[in-house]
Amino acid sequence: MMWENFTEALYAVFQLKTMLLMFLGTGAGLIAGAIPGFTIAMAVILTLPFTFAMPPLQGLATMIGVFVGGLSGGLMSGILTGIPGTPSSIATTFDGFPMARAGRPGLALGLGVWSSFFGGLISAVALVLLAPLLADLGLEFGPWDYFSLVLFALTITASLAGTNMLKGLIAGVVGLLIRTIGEDDINGIARLDFGMESLKSGFQFLPVLIGLFAFGQLLSDVKDRVQARQPLMKDTGVAVKVEHLEAIKTIFRSWINLLRSSFIGIFVGVLPAAGGSISNILAYDQAKKASRTPEKFGTGIADGIIAPESANNATAGGALMILMALGIPGDLVAAVMLGALLIHDVAPSPTFITENAVLAYGIFIAFFIAHPIMIMLQAVCLRGFLLVTRVPMYTLAAVILAYCAIGVFALENSTHDLWTVLIFGVLGYAMRVLRFPIAPMILGVVLGNMAELNLSRAYATASDMTMFVTSFALRPWSAFFLLLGVFSVGFPWYQKEYGRKKWTLVYIPAMAAALALPMFFMQGSVRTFVAAALLAWAAYALWKRHAGGWKLEAQEDHIAAMKE
Amino acid sequence: MARLNTDTVCAIVILAAGGVFFWATFHIPKMGYASLGAEVWPRVVLVLLFALTFAYLFQSLKRGPDEKGEGGGVMGWIGRYQNALWCYALFGGFLYTLNYLGMLIGGTLFVFLTLTALGERTLRAHAVHAAVAFISIAFMWSIFTYGLKVILPQGEIFSAW
Repeated sequence: MMWENFTEALYAVFQLKTMLLMFLGTGAGLIAGAIPGFTIAMAVILTLPFTFAMPPLQGLATMIGVFVGGLSGGLMSGILTGIPGTPSSIATTFDGFPMARAGRPGLALGLGVWSSFFGGLISAVALVLLAPLLADLGLEFGPWDYFSLVLFALTITASLAGTNMLKGLIAGVVGLLIRTIGEDDINGIARLDFGMESLKSGFQFLPVLIGLFAFGQLLSDVKDRVQARQPLMKDTGVAVKVEHLEAIKTIFRSWINLLRSSFIGIFVGVLPAAGGSISNILAYDQAKKASRTPEKFGTGIADGIIAPESANNATAGGALMILMALGIPGDLVAAVMLGALLIHDVAPSPTFITENAVLAYGIFIAFFIAHPIMIMLQAVCLRGFLLVTRVPMYTLAAVILAYCAIGVFALENSTHDLWTVLIFGVLGYAMRVLRFPIAPMILGVVLGNMAELNLSRAYATASDMTMFVTSFALRPWSAFFLLLGVFSVGFPWYQKEYGRKKWTLVYIPAMAAALALPMFFMQGSVRTFVAAALLAWAAYALWKRHAGGWKLEAQEDHIAAMKE
Repeated sequence: MARLNTDTVCAIVILAAGGVFFWATFHIPKMGYASLGAEVWPRVVLVLLFALTFAYLFQSLKRGPDEKGEGGGVMGWIGRYQNALWCYALFGGFLYTLNYLGMLIGGTLFVFLTLTALGERTLRAHAVHAAVAFISIAFMWSIFTYGLKVILPQGEIFSAW
């Protein structure tokens, strides 16, 4: 059965139209990634309207192309100008730019492109192997477990909040509120419409997303009149020739670095709210620590490009894995992908891979194929991509705004959606000016309906709310996700105070011990063993720190190394 | 008033808006058969919003008034945000005239006028803007109309012609 689904998915992806769309998507992602200020999330959001008229797999394959292309496109501007195209490529510039300035831009680009390729392939293999296993776990979930899972996903807003936690949380809750406007999904009752006919059907997800994120971002990019008229990048070295063979040889010589960085990327991708922007720096840091010549990092060393680029592409596989297996978005891009699936009437959940096997395998295959497509496009069209970055921002902004309008209209052939874009465009820009983060609001908009729906289902099965909080034995998964949610809310403080406050020494062991408790009540002996191992590790870590006198030196060294 | 800062004003606006929404939840019809009423979730969300916004309000009041900004009054504010205001006005105009001009003509006009408002205003620049506007919109219009078979608004002018 699995093999049949796989071949069916393979056939669907290798259709000429799907392949062409993937080429287009990857190309668009490469261009968007190469433009400083354009994030991958924005590129994926802007692609969404074009995918409505397509069958789900075609649309998703196109968006996966944009995702993979965007991750790799960021390295071009990072290496050639020192300005990372996306936050996922920040660490790439540490060694990529010095190498390019030292006269080897072709090798630097080659290393970046091929590291992205191999990192992506490793995570694609992990995605295929591990996602179904995770999904099998999900089949054990009951309604309360689902609700706790969505609550846990909502706590990601705390991590997406940035410097002002309160503003981020408020933005997230406003996102939830926006989704309550209009007819509710459970009882079909119109609510919070203030008697306006146009509000009875509520706000469509996509116009809200485009207004908040894309419209607001574009206007922020052209805010300064002088800067808006300048080309995005002046010296992009269009005569560069990528040294593919030399790059592949160099990467194979550093295969341990490649594997380590890819696994770091996958792990970070699985963690909620920890995307490519974290994994590329973490992998760079680990590569430097493991190197025999750490002093050469930052001077244009190959390992300094291989580590971040393989990690950030591997992160995409990790994020897709957790999205498809459990239905929760690991980061903003995954949240947008979740929205895309919902638009195509596909609701990711723990039963997603079982119920939509062809689509799930199709996504795996598309993610795998997007990487060779990215390599091909980058090899052939590098010059063209770099030329796009010479276009002034105001030109791109005007054209993209019009494209947003065309795409959003196509959603339901309704001008109401276009007005929604304008209204949320004003809100998005005002939020930027007032320093409210947008990402938590988007997460709220995406997860709002899911949270309410799951609460209603759970409440219908058992309305005893106290049981849901206290019963470890009856609903261990629910307790597991709630505890995870509690620690997820505290994680930004942990990151902020790491190495400075002594309580941070207890945080991770305490989390491991707390998560072990509900695991003792789960089915099977493996989980009991894992729980015991977690508990033992937590006890050992605490004992070790106690024996060391609760010193913070090691962390301080680590922070100093990261800052350096 | 002297102690008010931008965050305080924001918090007050959010609280006021939240209050209006909370009042609106009392007008949601109750269904006898529903295990969880349609008003429950919005109220849960709004209670959370009130709690967070009050914390934000206290935080902002403790901070004291804003430092002296860029100033310039209303004209200074318009000057600072003129590009964004142009875009909103032109996008609004584009939507308002969509039924008359249609997506092809209206979209081309919107792009041309936005480029003219934000970009340089020389004869050469106008020619480039016109070419960019027409080519970009005609290209995307063709993809949606002929490739994806989406019927975009034709507009009264185009229909009559």
